[in-house]
This record gives sequence, C-alpha cells and structure tokens, in this order.
Amino acid sequence: MTTWLQEQFRRYYARPRIHFPDRFPRREYALIPFGEQHMQRHLAVKTREDLQSLLERRVPAHIYYSSAYYETPDAPTMTEKGWMGADLIFDLDADHLPGAGGLSYPEMLAAVKQEMIKLLDFLQGDFGFGEADLAVYFSGGRGYHCHVTDARVQTLGSQERREIVDYITGRGLDTQSLLQERTVYRQGNITQTSLEMPLPDEPGWRGKISREIIRFFQSLLDAPEEEALQQLTQFEGIGPKTARTIYEGLTPQRIQRMRQGKFDQFPYIKKMAPHLIRRSAVELRGEPDEPVTADVKRLIRLPGSLHGKTGLRVEHVPLGDIDQFDPLVDAVVFDDSPVALTLKKGTAISMKNRSFDLQPGSHTVPAYLAALLVGRGLATVDS
Amino acid sequence: MDIYVLARYPFLSEAKEVVRRENVRTEEILHDPIYERARDIGRQRVTDALEEGVVGGYPVASETDALMNIFSYPIARMIVASVGHPYFRGRYALAEAKRAYEFLQGESRDFLLQVARELEVAVDDDLRLHFADYLRHAPTRSQRWKLVNMPLSQGWLSLDHRELARVLQNAIQHRLFEELRDMRPPSEISNVFREEVTAIRNTLQQREMREKAEMGEASVAKLPPCMRMLLAAIQTGANVPHVGRFTLVSFLNAIGMDTEEILGLFAASPDFDRERTRYQIEHITGKVSGTDYTPPSCASIKTWGLCPTDKMDAICRRVNHPLSYYRIKGRRRK
Ligand code: SF4
Repeated sequence: MTTWLQEQFRRYYARPRIHFPDRFPRREYALIPFGEQHMQRHLAVKTREDLQSLLERRVPAHIYYSSAYYETPDAPTMTEKGWMGADLIFDLDADHLPGAGGLSYPEMLAAVKQEMIKLLDFLQGDFGFGEADLAVYFSGGRGYHCHVTDARVQTLGSQERREIVDYITGRGLDTQSLLQERTVYRQGNITQTSLEMPLPDEPGWRGKISREIIRFFQSLLDAPEEEALQQLTQFEGIGPKTARTIYEGLTPQRIQRMRQGKFDQFPYIKKMAPHLIRRSAVELRGEPDEPVTADVKRLIRLPGSLHGKTGLRVEHVPLGDIDQFDPLVDAVVFDDSPVALTLKKGTAISMKNRSFDLQPGSHTVPAYLAALLVGRGLATVDS
Repeated sequence: MDIYVLARYPFLSEAKEVVRRENVRTEEILHDPIYERARDIGRQRVTDALEEGVVGGYPVASETDALMNIFSYPIARMIVASVGHPYFRGRYALAEAKRAYEFLQGESRDFLLQVARELEVAVDDDLRLHFADYLRHAPTRSQRWKLVNMPLSQGWLSLDHRELARVLQNAIQHRLFEELRDMRPPSEISNVFREEVTAIRNTLQQREMREKAEMGEASVAKLPPCMRMLLAAIQTGANVPHVGRFTLVSFLNAIGMDTEEILGLFAASPDFDRERTRYQIEHITGKVSGTDYTPPSCASIKTWGLCPTDKMDAICRRVNHPLSYYRIKGRRRK
C-alpha cells in the first residue's frame, strides 16, 4: 500500500535533481524504504542512470552514500571493499547543540546555521580550503552538513581527522601558554608582573582568542552599564562586585593595550578565558564515541534527495548565500496543492513565507506543509 | 650530494643511486670480500636497532668508509626483512629515523627542504608545512604537538628548524617501515646471514617471553581502577570516548593481549560489532600502521578525566603509569 507521502516522493524521484558526489561509482549507497527501520546497505551504481533508476524504482524514504570511496563499493565487508579515501564530513545537528532542546524547529535550524558559519571560518581561514573543495548542504532534517573534498585530506586516517575535530572544537588547547605572566620590573622585593596575551593577527588559535577577547571587551565598553554588568556576572566566579571592578576599569586605552598584547593589571581574564574559548569553538560534541568527522567510512544523505521525516530536500547552500538561506523556503520541493489532514498536535510554523498556526483537528494545508507534518508523525492524511 | 653526507642518510634516493651506479650484483654484495666491511656495518645496524633502539656511530674517515656505510644500509634492510617480524621492522625503521633526526638538526634549511621533498612532505620555502602532512607525521599525541596549539593559517603552519627535523624523523620512519613491509628479500640472504637472522629471532622471542613472564598471564584482576572502569563501561555498552578506547586497548595490548583476546573482552557489549571493533583495535595496536602506541601515563589519563580519583588505591599513589600499577600488582600476588 502506498501512502500519500510515498506518492509525493515517487513523483519527485521521477525527475529528481541529484547532486552526484564525485567518484559516485566508487561510493557505497544505502537506503531505508518507506515503512521500514532497517537500512539496506552495500549498493553500488555504475552510471548516473543507474542511480536515477534506483531512486525511481525504490522511492526510498532516506538515501545515503558513503563519504569513503572504495575499490569494490558493493562488497559486504570493509576489508573486501578496499578503502581508497574519504571526504571530510562535518555533520552539525541540533541534537549536538547544548540547549537546543527548548527551541522551535526554525530556531534550531538558525542556531545550527550559526555554528556552520563558525565552522566555515575555521575551514576557510585556518585550514585554507578553497571554495571548490567545500560544499554545504542543508540536511533536510535538523542540521547542516559540510563536505570537504580536498585531495590532501581525503587519505587522512581517523586519528588525523580527530586532530582536525579537536582543532575546531578547541579540545586540548593549551590555555596556560595563551596568557602568560611576565615580570616587567623587579627591585628588592617589589616585583611587577604583566599579563601578556596573543596579538589579534597571530595565526591559529592564538589570534582567534585574542580577537575574541578584544571583541568581548569592546562590546562591554559599548554596552549600557546595566547590560555590561549582567554580561559579566554570567561568568562563573564573577560576582557583582568583581563585575563592577572590571567594568569600571575598562577604558578605550586599555583595549588599545590589548591590541598590543598587554593585559596589565587585569587578572580577571584568566577566569573568563575558558568561556571565550568556548564561544569561538564549534559545537561538534554530543558524539563522544566516534565524531562523525573522524569516521572514515560514514554514510551521509545524498544531496538532492528527500528527507523522509520532513519531505524537505537535502539542499545545496552556496557559500555566499548562507546568511540568507532559509531551509523552510529554499529546501521546499512540494507545491501548494491542498491536502486534507488530521493534526494530532497543535503546530505553529512558517514555511515558504506563510505562517501557519494550527490547532489539533482537521485542516486543509499546502502539500509541502502536509509532507512535513506527516513525515514527523504529527498528522495523517484524510483518505 | 657529497658522499659523506649521503653516508648519514643512506635511505635517500641519491644514496640508493650510488649503490646502483656501482653496478654490483647482490651476489657480490653478499659474498665478495670487498664488501666485507659493508656486511659488518650492516649487521651492526641491525643489532644496534635491536639492542640500542638507534643506529649509527660507525666510522666514516675515508670515502671508502662512507661508501661502505651506504652499502651497509641495503644489507641491513634485507636482514630485517628476512627476520620477518612486524615489531622488529617498526623498531628498525625507528632506529634509522632517530639517527637521521640527530643529523638533520644540524643541517641547513635547504637540506631539510630537500629531504622533505623526497619524502613527499609539503613544505614551502619558509619552512611552512601543509597541515595534512603535519597530521600524518607530527607526534600529535603530545599536547605540545596537537594541531590546535599550532599557528595554523590558510592550511599552512610554521615550524622551527628542530620541529621540522622532528616531523621528518617520523616521515622517514613511516617511509622505511612501508618499504620494509613491501620488500621481498632474496632467499640468498637467509643463507648468508643465517646466524644473525636466527639470533635476532631468538632474542625477539626471548624478549616476548620475558615480558610475558614479567606481566604474568594477562589478567583482568590486576587492572588498575581506570582500566577497570573503562572496560566495564565498554562491556555495558556505555558511551566511551575515543581516547578512552585508545587508552584501554593500548594498555591491554601492552600487557600482552592480542586482538582476539581483546575482542573477547569487548564482546560482552550489547552493541558489539565485531568487524568494526577489530578494525579499531588493529589501528591502535599497530597492525595497520606500524606504529604501536604506548599506553598513556597517569598524567594523561587524568587530563582526559578518565582516572577515577575516588577509586585510586595505595598502588595508584605510588605510580605514574598504569603499566607500573599492573606490574606491582602482579608481584604482590606471587
Ligand atoms: S592513578 Fe593512574 S593507574 Fe591509578 S587509576 Fe589513576 S590513571 Fe589509573
């Protein structure tokens, strides 16, 4: 029995817009059919038409391909497959964001997008990947993926990839040497020390942290007193009294000194540094076991395919457009033909720039919204 | 390149070219009295690698000396390949690489660049290294060398002379290990160097036995608290971060468990995936890469938050390394 949603997918897959991964015949494909939990793995295709016809015949709820490319992609075990290399994949998902639980779907997506923008800054600035080797996709679900196809990283093993993850998440950062005490003056038993911080234009994390410190204190200086104090007391170990001392000691001259790497008589920074580091880092946590990026044989959603739980397309996000990209407009594929359904739970959402605020019960809504509601199990289509 | 210089780096292609240009057959190298010196130094290289963990210090007073040094290297390699022991291949590659590192520190910048190019390590004229090659070769297990602490910008990072030499040491080690792994030594070798090959095999075996005896039967009862905790976590299917797995597997490997035994321990886990787990284990124990990682020290384990400080016992307080804990515990039981 084909369901309404499956029928929509069937129509899409009759003329899909797939982004073929490079070396697509060397990839493993895997799919989950409608109504099933189990993933069928170890599929391979030789030509574009093969993949096209696979989609047309099977109409999967979810389809994936391997970040790795293999000698024999359809062999059943890793050893027989013969690993040749793998793209570097970053999977940013709302599930990995602390505090995302309380957010609405669009808010969640916006929060993940901010992380992606931070990630791109690392990938383009620190790692120097060119635009041709970077591709960002909306996952169709609750996040974004970034694929790096630079040949120099494709053969890295998982230990090496883990180092990249650690860089981006700031794990193992030697915070001690970032801020160092230096004796500037000593006479008898009088010693004067000064705290040195990195310069904003230094490479690597040193410069990053320096810029973040300066940015933070500049924003405090620019903010109304009330707000600045409140910002400060958010830090662990900084009470109202200390906050006031910090705020009152803050002058444009002092920030100018920071730009020159001097942090004199301003010891509080040590307390705040860990927080400022966290802000500069990307949240890739939540998968302590095998971070996706370190996995050299991971399956990822096929760009251009549909996500079975939303009906949204795994959509390519041009790097220059990421700020404007709105998944609930740009990744919508179904049209607005009316669909009658029964909603189980009240839902408020805006899609294709139309706001919906629906109570439980019967409604007629555009097909694209129906797909999202049905996919998430919030509604059933009336027959 | 000067032949004296080449004698320090007999693994460089230019040194190999010298051997080729002399146009001698393997037969001659193995039997001709002219190459007696080369054979002696070759033997010495191998023994030094085994006993000292580093080769070198053979006199290079004349051009002939230098040439003999260069010739000794292919001989040594053939002996190592005939021994056919993966651990020993790794040890020999490391011993040669260490020696090279000692010299490299004193060489010119241009020379370092040249060696880097030969090893296909991407370095630009300002000694900046591409991060991918840095990750392949730098000892990133130690915090100082972690990528996150390096001045990375636009994909490249600057190293000083010594740091680059250190990275090259590892690149040399990896290159030599791969070459040894793929080498099929002529059978004649095992005849000429029968004594040496047998002696080395015996030593290796004795060492393994001694280590086993010292460690006793690998036993879970002697595991320190941190390892017990990690093992229990894995067996109950709890989420264990990669460093945790790494710590436990490298430890179990060091106390003499092989892949099968470790797999046996992990099999209790509810989401046990034999193939995947085997793959992970073999990566850590060096079956795949040739580097077998030594298990981390207490200090590292503590930094990663994997030392259950509330469960530390009297032995814990005496040791800096979980392996020492294991040894002490073994002694007590006897
Ligand atoms: S002190 Fe060392 S051996 Fe003991 S539990 Fe901690 S890390 Fe393990």
